[in-house]
Amino acid sequence: MTAVTPDDVHAFLQTYVAKTLRDQAREVPADLPDDCDLLLNGYVDSLGLLELMTALQDHFGREIDFNELDAEQMTIVGPLKNFVAAELAKS
Amino acid sequence: MQRPLWSGFLKSSEKFPARPAILANNQEFTYGEVRERALRLAATIQSLQDPSATPLTAVFAYRSPTAFIGVLGSLLAGNGYVPLNRTFPIERTQVMLHRSECSTLIVDESSLPQLDNLLQAAEKPLAVLIPDLADVQSYKTQWPRHRFLGATDLQPSATWREPKFENDSIAYLLFTSGSTGIPKGVAVAQRNVAAFLDYMVERYAITETDRLSQMFDMTFDLSVFDMFIAWERGACVCCPSQKTLIKPGKFINEAGLTIWFSVPSTAVFMKQLGMLKPGQYPSLRFSLFCGEPLPISSAEAWLAAAPNSIVENLYGPTELTIACTLYGWDPATSAAESELGIVPIGYPYPDMSVLIVDDALNEVAPGQEGELLMNGSQMSLGYWRDTAKTAAAFLVPPGKTEIYYRTGDRVRRPLDNKPLTHLGRIDSQVKIFGHRVELGEVESKVRDACKLDGVVAVGWPRTDSGFGGVEVFVEGRESDLAAIRQTVAADLPEYMVPRRFHFMERLPRNANNKYDRKAMQKLLEEGL
Repeated sequence: MTAVTPDDVHAFLQTYVAKTLRDQAREVPADLPDDCDLLLNGYVDSLGLLELMTALQDHFGREIDFNELDAEQMTIVGPLKNFVAAELAKS
Repeated sequence: MQRPLWSGFLKSSEKFPARPAILANNQEFTYGEVRERALRLAATIQSLQDPSATPLTAVFAYRSPTAFIGVLGSLLAGNGYVPLNRTFPIERTQVMLHRSECSTLIVDESSLPQLDNLLQAAEKPLAVLIPDLADVQSYKTQWPRHRFLGATDLQPSATWREPKFENDSIAYLLFTSGSTGIPKGVAVAQRNVAAFLDYMVERYAITETDRLSQMFDMTFDLSVFDMFIAWERGACVCCPSQKTLIKPGKFINEAGLTIWFSVPSTAVFMKQLGMLKPGQYPSLRFSLFCGEPLPISSAEAWLAAAPNSIVENLYGPTELTIACTLYGWDPATSAAESELGIVPIGYPYPDMSVLIVDDALNEVAPGQEGELLMNGSQMSLGYWRDTAKTAAAFLVPPGKTEIYYRTGDRVRRPLDNKPLTHLGRIDSQVKIFGHRVELGEVESKVRDACKLDGVVAVGWPRTDSGFGGVEVFVEGRESDLAAIRQTVAADLPEYMVPRRFHFMERLPRNANNKYDRKAMQKLLEEGL
């Protein structure tokens, strides 16, 4: 299996957020920049964040230990995608 | 003996002036500092407030030092406090400020972006204290109707005078969801809180070395436990940031918490995110949960992660002051005492009495189910400026001589000395992350926004401890959903805003031709 890159995670986040917002009849942003904070921008609430963590594990087909991801960083696109890609690269 | 709520803090500040009272914004503030700043706020309010004014001060501050100091300053001024929350829609905050009749307002820096909107709707002149700003000239120019005081305008602490204390002096006024669409203000007296504190500080043997979590926003009454239990004994209340709330694992260890208090949802989430590994939180000596049903699985996982702590499940509506029954989890015997996979709510506090009744408010036999009624020293003053609602919920049951509060919670009347077990609600209230949500309030907002009558709100998705949110079913054709959603979201806190809207030509009905909420829940279960 080829390694998952941060860009792959970014693409997933983009699709996921777009679908969530469309379901809620809300405007979908054209792009999610790396410094976008999903929580503070209201794209996910705290339950939504948990759903996103679950969706990431389902999509990439393995468990991810989010324990080590810093709380202040976890809702920001850049740090989140890098963390997920690094976790998936661990054997 | 009755005592004002601020007396415990002042005593601790004399005994432990150099010890930390508050950890907020990653910074500790000592009892000495907090006392000085709170007394300055209090002295300033005393110098401004008309003696005939409603004795309440609004505190528009969020997880900041000023939030805590503002609460103390309001109480030291002789007022109760009314917490306002910048994460709520501004329309709701405006209603709370208006309904409370406050004439003074304390604002922290992070809430300032909403201040203009709040003042816009204020019907009477306010005195606005902004201790985080030195210069408030721009506000003075923009709002000549109101008075503004920045950090340098506050009175010296030496001018503070001990306020008059009366038997029914209010500690705080909190707004909870109301089924008719309008939030209800619950007025809690300082003597109610004192009765609660007296029992809790002894039970948990709090000392100046304790460090308590503050997971609850101040608009949620469980926050009163964190602050005042700590301050009674010179301990520190430790306040995480908005984001750390979702993922508090590291915070527990970095802040060196000894007492944990949260809604069970937090434990459910932490378990799912791998944050409840065995032995992970050795510093905790008590782990307390309240606000919604505590699943057995969460109690067990938490105890494994915090093996040096005692896990307790607390229960209580705002109207009975924070919590009024509790149950100590015993890994050997508790599972057998639980019902429906949920930890019992246990036994009433020593000064509280329980009555379990049927629909006609007559006591049920032991072993039978009924509605939980309670009274005692923690029974609050009732609903603010609403005698009709107060009379409906605080009443004398047939054959009794005392007033009881109707909790709306379904419990089983215990046999022998067994604990109380919580079985659900008698109405359509649901708990979302421990917040009380009247589905009727959500329905009323959606009805107004859609201009359609057939609206049913359902708690969804189900979590181990309650619900993650609300979804609504609307009978009729879908119109401008984005606009509807926006209108509804403008009035409701985020946790009450429907996560999805389902429009149907005809909503499911039961045999009596009433809307069938269970059938709608089933549709969601089937993956609608």
